[in-house]
Amino acid sequence: MLMHKGRPPWVSLWFIGDAIVALAPPLHWAVDGAIHPILGIPAVVFYFIVVGTIISASIMAAYRAEASSGTLER
Amino acid sequence: MIITFGLLSTFFALVVGILQWSGIRDRTFADYAVANRSFDARFQAMSFLNTWYPGAIFTAFGGMAASVGVTSLYLLSYSLLTVVLMYLMARPVWIWGKAFALNTQPDLMALRYNSRDVGTLSAVLGIVSGIPWLVLGMQALGTLFQYLSLGTLSFSNSVIAGVGVITIRQIWTVRMGMRGVVISDMVQGIAAYVGGTIILFGLISWMVLAKGITFQSLDARMFAIPGVGSKEGPLYLFSLILTGAIGGWCWPVIFVRLFTADSVRSLKKSAALAVPLSFTFAGALLVFGMLGSKVAGVPSHPDDVFFIVSQEAGGLWLLGLAGIVVLAASMGNIDGHIQATGAQIANDVVGQNLRLDQAQLIVMAKSGMLGVTLLSAWLACLELPALFSIAILAYQGIVQLAVPMFFGVFWKRGNKQGAMAGMIVGFALAVYLELIFPGYLPWAFGLTSGVVALIVNLVIYVAAAFLWPHSRDEQMRVDALFALANGEPLLPVAEKTARKPA
Repeated sequence: MLMHKGRPPWVSLWFIGDAIVALAPPLHWAVDGAIHPILGIPAVVFYFIVVGTIISASIMAAYRAEASSGTLER
Repeated sequence: MIITFGLLSTFFALVVGILQWSGIRDRTFADYAVANRSFDARFQAMSFLNTWYPGAIFTAFGGMAASVGVTSLYLLSYSLLTVVLMYLMARPVWIWGKAFALNTQPDLMALRYNSRDVGTLSAVLGIVSGIPWLVLGMQALGTLFQYLSLGTLSFSNSVIAGVGVITIRQIWTVRMGMRGVVISDMVQGIAAYVGGTIILFGLISWMVLAKGITFQSLDARMFAIPGVGSKEGPLYLFSLILTGAIGGWCWPVIFVRLFTADSVRSLKKSAALAVPLSFTFAGALLVFGMLGSKVAGVPSHPDDVFFIVSQEAGGLWLLGLAGIVVLAASMGNIDGHIQATGAQIANDVVGQNLRLDQAQLIVMAKSGMLGVTLLSAWLACLELPALFSIAILAYQGIVQLAVPMFFGVFWKRGNKQGAMAGMIVGFALAVYLELIFPGYLPWAFGLTSGVVALIVNLVIYVAAAFLWPHSRDEQMRVDALFALANGEPLLPVAEKTARKPA
């Protein structure tokens, strides 16, 4: 299996977490029809926004980590 | 009509003017197919977005958000997950592309599996599957043109007008190849996703502040997603997100973005630049669509939500600007699609059977692009009631490239037998299941035909990997490829064994 040596392990774990929070059916079932507000937003909409935030943050953090460690040049 | 079409014409002239001014001349096929791997992260990010989000996103997903509500937000999940995949693939794919002068997705498949047949098969699947979507993209312009004509044009005349405009636009795509596509993607992307996001936030504010529409105004059914007990089945949403995320990279037009960057750094930086814009744009579009469902006229024409709300909020000028946004997004997707298809016809279909020099390859690519443009334009002007169903069939089929592609990039054991058999069986099974059970499979808890076929495809691929282990030479070749992707120098002996298949 190809695993790039320069990528910090926490980045790989975060990417796995991205897939779980976006894809896991039990999470979809849990928020189905949930309209109670969280920060003023219906819970089911809030779920998708949180998923989007987690994934977006993971990519930006991964790039920052790899760029600052110099592994992108290798 | 003068205002709306005047704005559209001005933008069209701006894009064409920039392309003319750039004065691109391609000397080699690598120039024409992948712009000689020369673009930085900003161009890469915008080019990815301009290909990923076609103009039809405003009608299809805007309309879906307005009619069924929160389920449409799956677009957000899969569009962001696909950037994670881009980040992961960036290094091996770009390095192999640079080292072995790969110009297309089938080039990479042929290299990895040491088999031109695998490359040609994936090229044919990509080209055939792409045509219905190209036709749909052209037809979507009909909706735009009809709305901007303020009802003056009939739908069939609007389609003809839209197809005419996008066909004229292809003159510059054919002439300038990938460099022209990426440069125009920057202009079109700024209009579509920066301008579009600003307009969407403005319209959301208008609906909340001027019309008093909030999430509390919406019906409870707008917050339901297919779950346990739904008619689709509990795994339906999972299937949509999975096939959306991995399927994106099966399209040649998306995949070739990995070859146009000037470095791995640019590619990864482009992912970091694209993802916040993608999140903001798609999130704004879907929230806008949901709230827009309460605007008069939208419930009966949900696909027109962007145009209806724009016109009501800002009159013809805002409607014209909305038209620019949709046209810009449409041009980016259609141009890229035609360019990638032409390059594959030359490189992976004709080029495999005839020995062509650089100039002949470019001529063949241009001829292929011209042929695809004319064929799609002709089909778009016909009444094809089954077109959308065929496009869905094609999507479930092309997703089958995901197994040999992703496993080929990340797993050394996969072989050409598994890649070929998996793709053929997966494609045929996906098409068969989609024909029998369109949409989802009730007996598979809502899994789609594409996902069920992917599982079979994967079983075949893995089984073949263990049944027919690599020969010693092939193992050395694959080891050398993976070592190269990991930053280790390619030794002369490995360079010889890891070469592109003849």
